Amino acid sequence: MYVSKTGFAVIAAAYVAVPLLLGSNSYVMSLIVAAMIIGGIALAWALLGNLGGMVSFGHSAFFGVGAYVSALLTMKAGLPVLAAMLLGGVGAVVASLAMLPVLRLKGPYFALAILAYAHIFKILATEWSSVTGGSGGLASVPRLPELAGFDLSSKTGSYLVILTLLLAFIAIYRAIRSSHYGLALRAMHDSEDATRVVGVNSTLLKALMLFVSAFMTGVVGAFNVHYINFLEPDYAFSGLWVTLPIVAAIFGGYRTILGPLVGAVTVYLVDQLIFKNLIPSGHQLVLGALLVGMIIFSPGGLVPLLRKALGKISGAGKDNVAQRAREESC
Amino acid sequence: MLRLEDVSVRFGGLTAVNTVSLSVGTHEVVGLVGPNGAGKTTLFNAVSGLVKPSSGRILFDSVDMLRAPLHKRARMGIGRTFQIPQPMHELTVRENLVVAQRFGTGAVDKDRIDEVLEFTNLAAKAHRNAATELALTELKALEVAKALATQPKLLMLDEVLAGLETNGKRRFMAMLKALHEKFAVGILIIEHDIETISNLCHRVAVLNFGELIADGTPDEVFRDPEVMKSYTGASHA
Repeated sequence: MYVSKTGFAVIAAAYVAVPLLLGSNSYVMSLIVAAMIIGGIALAWALLGNLGGMVSFGHSAFFGVGAYVSALLTMKAGLPVLAAMLLGGVGAVVASLAMLPVLRLKGPYFALAILAYAHIFKILATEWSSVTGGSGGLASVPRLPELAGFDLSSKTGSYLVILTLLLAFIAIYRAIRSSHYGLALRAMHDSEDATRVVGVNSTLLKALMLFVSAFMTGVVGAFNVHYINFLEPDYAFSGLWVTLPIVAAIFGGYRTILGPLVGAVTVYLVDQLIFKNLIPSGHQLVLGALLVGMIIFSPGGLVPLLRKALGKISGAGKDNVAQRAREESC
Repeated sequence: MLRLEDVSVRFGGLTAVNTVSLSVGTHEVVGLVGPNGAGKTTLFNAVSGLVKPSSGRILFDSVDMLRAPLHKRARMGIGRTFQIPQPMHELTVRENLVVAQRFGTGAVDKDRIDEVLEFTNLAAKAHRNAATELALTELKALEVAKALATQPKLLMLDEVLAGLETNGKRRFMAMLKALHEKFAVGILIIEHDIETISNLCHRVAVLNFGELIADGTPDEVFRDPEVMKSYTGASHA
């Protein structure tokens, strides 16, 4: 897979520079990890929206199911944490199977139906107490393991795990988008009938995007539970696990691959490090205002805005082709 | 190849297509004519799978297609165009054909795409955006090209010539004739212009208020007073 020089530099910095410079500051590291968790969901949410053309208010369902599946598999079946995390993603895919009937719904109807599903799973987790521990939740969920002598459950270790997951998600997203499936999915946006009459099974493609998105969100949920070692239904299925990612994705630019991640890190860190200090209660208000401003001035989000700005600096129109290629690739 | 048996399509109380039986043979060119609202496009939609017939059977290569979903019908060899061109908006002309070919046939064959682009005079526009950078003639050509890329056995053309100026129409006609020979397809074409139909088609079927009122060679059909009455209004009969 093609990785640009800038991309390579950013990846190297993320793996080496961030832990070296900030690793000792556990407060900042925990904020970064939290931002990346939001970013992971935001990326999965945006994949469903950008490629599948579906707006979901129900991603907290996948997040919660992924968390519960992984927690239970490690606690009751004794599975290794890293394997259970992937199975958490699989669990979220299984949960998404229940949503297939609403895939035919369009726009707001789909969004609302999937919101209802999220609520159903939360009730299940609360009431099925023999397995899930009910509203009391699960305590002492196993931590992330040691890998080659390196403790992944430390702040820096957890950061490296979620970083690796996010990079894998980006690779998957890029691979899908540049495939023929990605082409057909883009074609379906405005002209679904036109794509169906040439042989595209649009329902199947949408279902596949739902599965991929659910899997990613489930894995993030699973990572989170082993990171914080505790789980209860109100937390696991909290609406915040979908509203924050939506804000992040739209702020960063949900039609780009990097937008949701850039959005999550920017929004979350700015909120926690700056506005929270300035306005201790009600600081989210500023986020709302920022989002509205972004939608008015750059409906595409932050990443397209930055690209435009960078394009102007590096000589207007000089390398439109390269610019186009870059947009295609990230 | 295509056989409709007593096909009816009802929308609530409205019968858009009423017990129509019609066939298109392999490599045959059949015109479908009739006044606006006669049910021509609805019939196309029933064959391609966009609407479900209320009764009757649609057979393609002797297979009953009632249960075949839209995309399967395309893969079985039914290609169609839309009266109002529906390019795949975000893609280039070439990408439109790649999608059509990949999903309509299961594989991508670059040479065949080049051939279709060349044939439909779109080669120069291959890398242009399909929705924003094409003129009407080119959009119509793209409709045909997309359908051709799926390697159809039957090509259903919904008023592909409508709205083109005289020269454009003539060139498009020549292309359709050549296409029929080169790609060995059967064609079912909706068209209002009698001269075009007479020139192009082996056979003509006439729909009026959802019912088939004539089916024969262009000469026979256009001499039928009832057809002319429905077509041009009573005063010309």
